Amino acid sequence: MKRKPVIVICLALSLSACASLGVKPWERDLLAKDEMALSADPVDLALDDHIYFSKEAASGGRAFAGGGCGCN
Amino acid sequence: MQLNQRNNILGALTAATCTLLGAPAVSQEAQSVEEPWKFDTAILYYGESERVTAVEGVFSATKDFGNEHIFNGKVTIDGLTGASATGAVPQPTAQTFTRPSGKDEYDIAATEIPLDDTFRDTRVQLNGQWTQPAWQDYRVSGGLHVSKEYDYLSMAVNGALAKDFNQRNTTVSLGLSYAFDSIDPEGGRPVAFASMPLKRDFASEQQYQDAFDATRLTGSDDKNTLDLLLGVTQVINRRTIMQLNYGVSAVDGYLTDPFKMLSVVNTQGLTQALVYENRPDNRTRHNVFWQTKYAMDSGVADISYRFTTDDWDIDSHTLDSRLRYNLSPNTYIQPHFRYYQQSAADFYQPYLMASDGLPQFASADYRVGEMTAFTLGVKYGVLLDQGKELAFRLEYYQQDPKNPGFDAPGVLQDLDLYPSVKAVMAQVSYRF
Amino acid sequence: MASPCELLIDTTDKQLAGQLTALAFFEARRIEQKYSRYLSDNICSKINHSHGKSVIIDDETYRLLCFADSCYQLSDGLFDITSGVLRKVWKFDGSDRLPHAEEVEALLPLIGWPQVQFDQNSVTLPTGFELDFGGIGKEYAVDAVSKRCLELAPQVSVVVNFGGDIQVTRPRVNKQAWHIGIENPETEGDALRLIRITRGGLATSGDARRYLCKDGIRYSHILNPKTGNPVTDAPRSVTVAAEHCIQAGILATLALLNGKQAEEFLNQQGVMFWLQA
Repeated sequence: MKRKPVIVICLALSLSACASLGVKPWERDLLAKDEMALSADPVDLALDDHIYFSKEAASGGRAFAGGGCGCN
Repeated sequence: MQLNQRNNILGALTAATCTLLGAPAVSQEAQSVEEPWKFDTAILYYGESERVTAVEGVFSATKDFGNEHIFNGKVTIDGLTGASATGAVPQPTAQTFTRPSGKDEYDIAATEIPLDDTFRDTRVQLNGQWTQPAWQDYRVSGGLHVSKEYDYLSMAVNGALAKDFNQRNTTVSLGLSYAFDSIDPEGGRPVAFASMPLKRDFASEQQYQDAFDATRLTGSDDKNTLDLLLGVTQVINRRTIMQLNYGVSAVDGYLTDPFKMLSVVNTQGLTQALVYENRPDNRTRHNVFWQTKYAMDSGVADISYRFTTDDWDIDSHTLDSRLRYNLSPNTYIQPHFRYYQQSAADFYQPYLMASDGLPQFASADYRVGEMTAFTLGVKYGVLLDQGKELAFRLEYYQQDPKNPGFDAPGVLQDLDLYPSVKAVMAQVSYRF
Repeated sequence: MASPCELLIDTTDKQLAGQLTALAFFEARRIEQKYSRYLSDNICSKINHSHGKSVIIDDETYRLLCFADSCYQLSDGLFDITSGVLRKVWKFDGSDRLPHAEEVEALLPLIGWPQVQFDQNSVTLPTGFELDFGGIGKEYAVDAVSKRCLELAPQVSVVVNFGGDIQVTRPRVNKQAWHIGIENPETEGDALRLIRITRGGLATSGDARRYLCKDGIRYSHILNPKTGNPVTDAPRSVTVAAEHCIQAGILATLALLNGKQAEEFLNQQGVMFWLQA
């Protein structure tokens, strides 16, 4: 097995740079909608994750790949 | 004022306050109103043409106990039947295979990709997750996961810490998860690269049984998975929110698939033997996940990209997009497109050459080979009274395994070694 | 109220938000006009210029006096609304100009809540005495405005914030907490710490802007009515969460009056609090 160089992740969104981004609390009308949650429809996402986990080599990313199952 | 004399003046102060304000200045009714349980249920049918069929049911319950102390419990049950690729290559003539249990055989017709149709399993999975604020500025979360099927047990614990900055516009989170998986497959785990014995090659039942047992290890084996997830969520503007995650995952233990094998072929491409696969016993993965959601006047656009890389040499790219379009105030339609691409593991081989020596590791499982896949789907949802929602989802999923650069010998040149897998998913969900 | 006042309203109903804002404005102005010691034509002024004669009071004033009386009793005399006369000699302007001890002592005979006579209809102050509702007025206004908001919109969560004295009328629809930043006394305008609050009151007492400093000693604007001198060694700022804003305000003030023992005092009350040393 070759050892790959670990990729370096640059968190472009450093905290100080964020100061100009964002909204005031009363501007959250759209962001507050259920469908704007990053993990809206968690059941759909979990079902998809389980299928792709068992059919592909990659998993996780959005959240933990979670405990495994015998399907992979 | 002597502290020790008057320990608690709050009670008396409360009485004085009530007299002053006449009636309560805060809603008393609000105190007693309990947030009801919320339920998410779904049933999913997954069917591959000529291969696996699965039905999966989910029942998820969430309750806010007040002050953002949230519990979620989830039960998932799935049933799986059908046939799955063994890793063996097709041949111009019919082939016979011993089932993983060793008790039976099955035949595969000429030119057909060998599929083992023994798969039949029921899995029950339980998840519990608790989330609450802590130390004013933080949110903590902890969860348990148990998944049990006939020959497999998985248990996991996770914990996460999140902190909001910048008027909650920025959230930084750190999560850790540890999973312990134990496997005890039917018929035992095969010895790495042991040759699959066939009954017809032995004079007696006893001789066959002894030969089969020699290819098997008794008892169970396990693996340990440690995951670390670092995330930044940033509100960009009134319509846009973005998330960037970095995750590292280290797995250690039994990572071989006990049901997969490789064909050992000669220079004419004819199978000389079938041997059980062997994978490394550890794997370290890194992944980067980026997601953006954009609120439009008429819906929501959701785009995510994931890159993963690991020390098995598998790199993958996943692009996922959902576009929710509100047809009316209470109905929506949501097309879904997903594209996936992975490179092959460094030990992936579609077959072994009889003329070459045995490698240290090898697997012909197309799932660790090179492939692309795409999903096309659509979801239709109806919002009902009191936050209830009924939704239907239909998706088509196709995997196209690729040859990562092997020159097929002899007869294998005319056979399809990398057949596509086509599947349909249908789901009904109800939230109440 | 001599400080920024705001309402945060968890609604998408513009008209309702407008009604609530108007209601809050009128109620707050009404209380300020009635009890501000800086105005010359209100009940506070009448009482303070009564020269020993009894003054007719209404029910609201009677209830405020009863509350002040309870606070005096509960604090063993540390919380005394007649102590406002001390401000004639103590000017908390951030300078080092301390009054002479004789000046302070000369005022002590004019302090003493038990000498104030009152009943449901009238109040009588000894000559030279003054009442100062400053210690409870703003918090009372917050609670009064919240009460009016809750009456008008019982289903809507409103944050009433008068210069850092806060009341949340009810939990928000989605049960999310309101996030309130506590200001750092050193760097004005910069939130020091975020507090999550779903309902109830929050009040801060401290010397962020009002203090005297001489010979390295910081004199907070909280005056001990028994000595006539400011409390020393108290935390710079105390924030308390309680059912009602006015309770939180009294507890925060009493904590500061306890000087070094502020934290111990608050621990005994079993309330949530945040100290800035």
